[in-house]
Amino acid sequence: MVDAARQPKVDILAYSEVEKVDGYIGNFRVQVTKKPRYVLADRCNGCGQCAQVCPIEVPNDFEMDIAPRKAIDVPHGQAVPLVYSIDMDHCIQCYKCVSACGKLDAIDFSQEPETVDLDVGSIIVATGFESFDPTVIPEYGYGAYPNVITAMELERLANSAGPTVGRMVRPSDGKTPKSIAMIQCVGSRDSRFNEYCSGFCCMYTIKNALLLKQMYHEMDITIFYMDIRTPSKGYEEFYNRARQSGIRFIQGRPSQITEDPVTHNLFVEAEDQALGMPIELEAELVSLSAAAIPRLDTEHVASTLTLSRSPSGFFMEYHPKLRPVDSPTDGVFLAGAAQGPKDIPASVAQGSAAAARAARVLSADTWEIEPIVARVSAERCISAQGKKCGICAKACPYGAIIVEVGQPAQITQAKCHGCGGCVAECPHDAISQDHFTDAQVVAQLKELLRDKPEEKILAFMCHWCSYGGADNAGTSHFEYPATSRGVRVMCSARMDQDFILEAFRRGAGMVLVSGCHPQDCHYITGQQVAAKRFDRIPRMLERMGINPERFRVEWISAAEGEKYARVITEMDAKLDSLDKAQIQAENAKARPDITKRLQRWKIVPNMQDLLEDEVVSEPGKVAPK
Amino acid sequence: MIRSSDFDPTFVQEIMAEPGGEHLLTCWSCGTCAATCLVRRFDSAFNPRLVLHKAGLGLRKEVLSSAEIWQCSACDACYPRCPKQIHISDVMKAIRQIAIREGYERPGVTAEVDVASCIACGLCAAACPYEAISLEMVEYEGGTKQAAKVDPNLCMACGICNSVCLGSCIGVPGYLDEAVNQNIGEDEGTSPTMPRALVITCNWCLHAGSDWEYAQHPPEGVKVVNVPCSGRVTPAFVTTALQAGVDGVLIVGCQEDQCHYKHGNALEKGRAAMLQNLLELLGIERERAQFAWLGSLDRGKFPELVNKLVQDVQALGPLSWSE
Repeated sequence: MVDAARQPKVDILAYSEVEKVDGYIGNFRVQVTKKPRYVLADRCNGCGQCAQVCPIEVPNDFEMDIAPRKAIDVPHGQAVPLVYSIDMDHCIQCYKCVSACGKLDAIDFSQEPETVDLDVGSIIVATGFESFDPTVIPEYGYGAYPNVITAMELERLANSAGPTVGRMVRPSDGKTPKSIAMIQCVGSRDSRFNEYCSGFCCMYTIKNALLLKQMYHEMDITIFYMDIRTPSKGYEEFYNRARQSGIRFIQGRPSQITEDPVTHNLFVEAEDQALGMPIELEAELVSLSAAAIPRLDTEHVASTLTLSRSPSGFFMEYHPKLRPVDSPTDGVFLAGAAQGPKDIPASVAQGSAAAARAARVLSADTWEIEPIVARVSAERCISAQGKKCGICAKACPYGAIIVEVGQPAQITQAKCHGCGGCVAECPHDAISQDHFTDAQVVAQLKELLRDKPEEKILAFMCHWCSYGGADNAGTSHFEYPATSRGVRVMCSARMDQDFILEAFRRGAGMVLVSGCHPQDCHYITGQQVAAKRFDRIPRMLERMGINPERFRVEWISAAEGEKYARVITEMDAKLDSLDKAQIQAENAKARPDITKRLQRWKIVPNMQDLLEDEVVSEPGKVAPK
Repeated sequence: MIRSSDFDPTFVQEIMAEPGGEHLLTCWSCGTCAATCLVRRFDSAFNPRLVLHKAGLGLRKEVLSSAEIWQCSACDACYPRCPKQIHISDVMKAIRQIAIREGYERPGVTAEVDVASCIACGLCAAACPYEAISLEMVEYEGGTKQAAKVDPNLCMACGICNSVCLGSCIGVPGYLDEAVNQNIGEDEGTSPTMPRALVITCNWCLHAGSDWEYAQHPPEGVKVVNVPCSGRVTPAFVTTALQAGVDGVLIVGCQEDQCHYKHGNALEKGRAAMLQNLLELLGIERERAQFAWLGSLDRGKFPELVNKLVQDVQALGPLSWSE
């Protein structure tokens, strides 16, 4: 950090809040509010005389509230920039700091919040993580027993720059504990709270234990663990050292901690799995290795920057293997524990990677975008006619569409990723998608359903998952009936309700719509847009007289070739069990209704011919070319 | 030694097909349940983690023939703490269902019915937390008679049936009215000095080892009697004790929602007020019958309660029946 502060091309806006982010890759405009420090950054030299004279003590979150801080202070000793700030919620304005500052004259009580607009080419999100609050696990007694602390608190107590100057003491009596129990996986690997493994707790617990063992040779240290995870370079060797130093490792997750009301010693109850025997360990201090959890403001940051979140709540990367530092928004990159719990080496590696990815953007004069983007037809967009709509903007996972009444919807093409959700959602068919226009898709339907459509399963597949699943079924040689006909679109969100109706109008026996599982969607929320739409379809078909069992929705990942084969096999069996004459009768009955509904589609270029095409109704009869 | 031929995958599938057995393979053997469960106090071989682990490996014979699958009383103390949220008692139940189908029987003591005195009133059947009792026609003196019948595969031997029975017609051997009353009255006259206090605790409310030890070796003048469940305690135990020369009684059961037998403590809680009112009618101070409910985290509370009882009894003085 100190190096970064010295670098002339780096500006650090500490104690500031990102309010708004507009624009797109290479051209972001970021609005930042600099909070008032009431200290002039260019005059303060960080001498700290103001804090010495300040009479007000406030809780110190950096020291986990173990020690107080002054109402004028720096966040911590190594803070960059080393500029003091006044905590106005607690300051009594006695102005002792002003006198202590003397000639520097750095204190300015009239400071106001300042808004700064920055034009930037790329953005790196490195907002870090938070620590799980163990008070929600009553059986561990954190908050109820004074001598149950978190590993972060232990860290401060054992730190030579901490509030006790490195003397390890326990809260109940201020004495150095003779025995410490450390408990792993508190709030992580626990389906009540967080399913995931926090990953780095094993190593910091071993580090804390070794540190204490070096400071206090006689200290009795026990680590209760479920599994010790030491996968990185040199970690296993470090673990071996801890074992050899006499730190006791017990495999078994404690069921509860009770306290002796007189001595405030703690009894950790667990099962030693190696012995298969219950153990009750008395310890003078217990440290809980609490899970790393996403910061509380993650959702706020995600909506400001159009990011998505993994099921665990951390920011989601563009691709877990191939683009692990990119976010779904081009030009925005992720680094560190904000993307998922990780230790220092991994955070540094990801930070360096994110910097390199960001530099690629900054050093380029132009940036290639995907050719598949959406376009608005100004004539057909009803917003241009002064009517309120905005459905497309709601469907866009990237915030790429801006709708102002009186203007046609505006799509920032550098932000558009080409999922096609807006195209399918637009009730006036005013948006088209390059390379996947309505006419292009319907032309495919026409050819696929030309011959004996009632014996066919028309399968819509998304490019990233279910098409990959079908491909996987093929390369894995999973057999499935030859009755299916596939139509690839980029995302399940592109699967227009009208496509499904058109398929039935053309006599399809069955229709499958398939896409990614919700958490795998390549377009953040495209799957959700699609799922909501597909929910309505069975009832609509029923009203038209089409058996809703002839329509199926399945989420199939690229690895689920077996599932794809199974779904098609099941659908084929279903189709086989249905009377073909009945299918034709249903389609014939629904046809006038569907034809009427699809009338408006004729305004879309090239659609008129396709819709006025004669549709096959009798078996064996082929439609004219 | 376990050989790969001992693994029976169909056993795993069978368990998972039973209602409640679905989560068998979710377990990764962390031991939270084993550390929570108190059954081990009475049978050190009992370990729910190992039952699930063996079942997950498919060791059919070893699991089905073990006594352990019958010992879980479905108190569900482990379930809220399980990091995989496995309803372990449901898995045990699923395994028991398979054991019953394959002809295994629950070993050990269960409640027994004295058919001669049973009047088939059905109170026991209504009170049983395990629905183990039904009223049926049973053979009696050459003919048949309607009486309570205990399903030994469901009975957990808590003795709650005995506590609601109007005439001691049903109960668990070792904890029948007569046996408990005899135990209560045994020391009569041997401790003429104050205090003469009686503590009745359930088998499960003293979680901490040190409290359990204390109950085994109580201070002078205090007698501790164990029953399976506080729901087993009838008001008659208290009056018997007071008549036998005891000056104060403390009944300790499990905290709400922690009963080892589902709802025995709630039953006793209902009786507590009734008993204290009864004492008052007899001209005896309410404080001579005290009740307390302990949770698994209440280490060290039991000695405090006993001390309080002793102090209260000393303040009240010897119980005089002349009033």
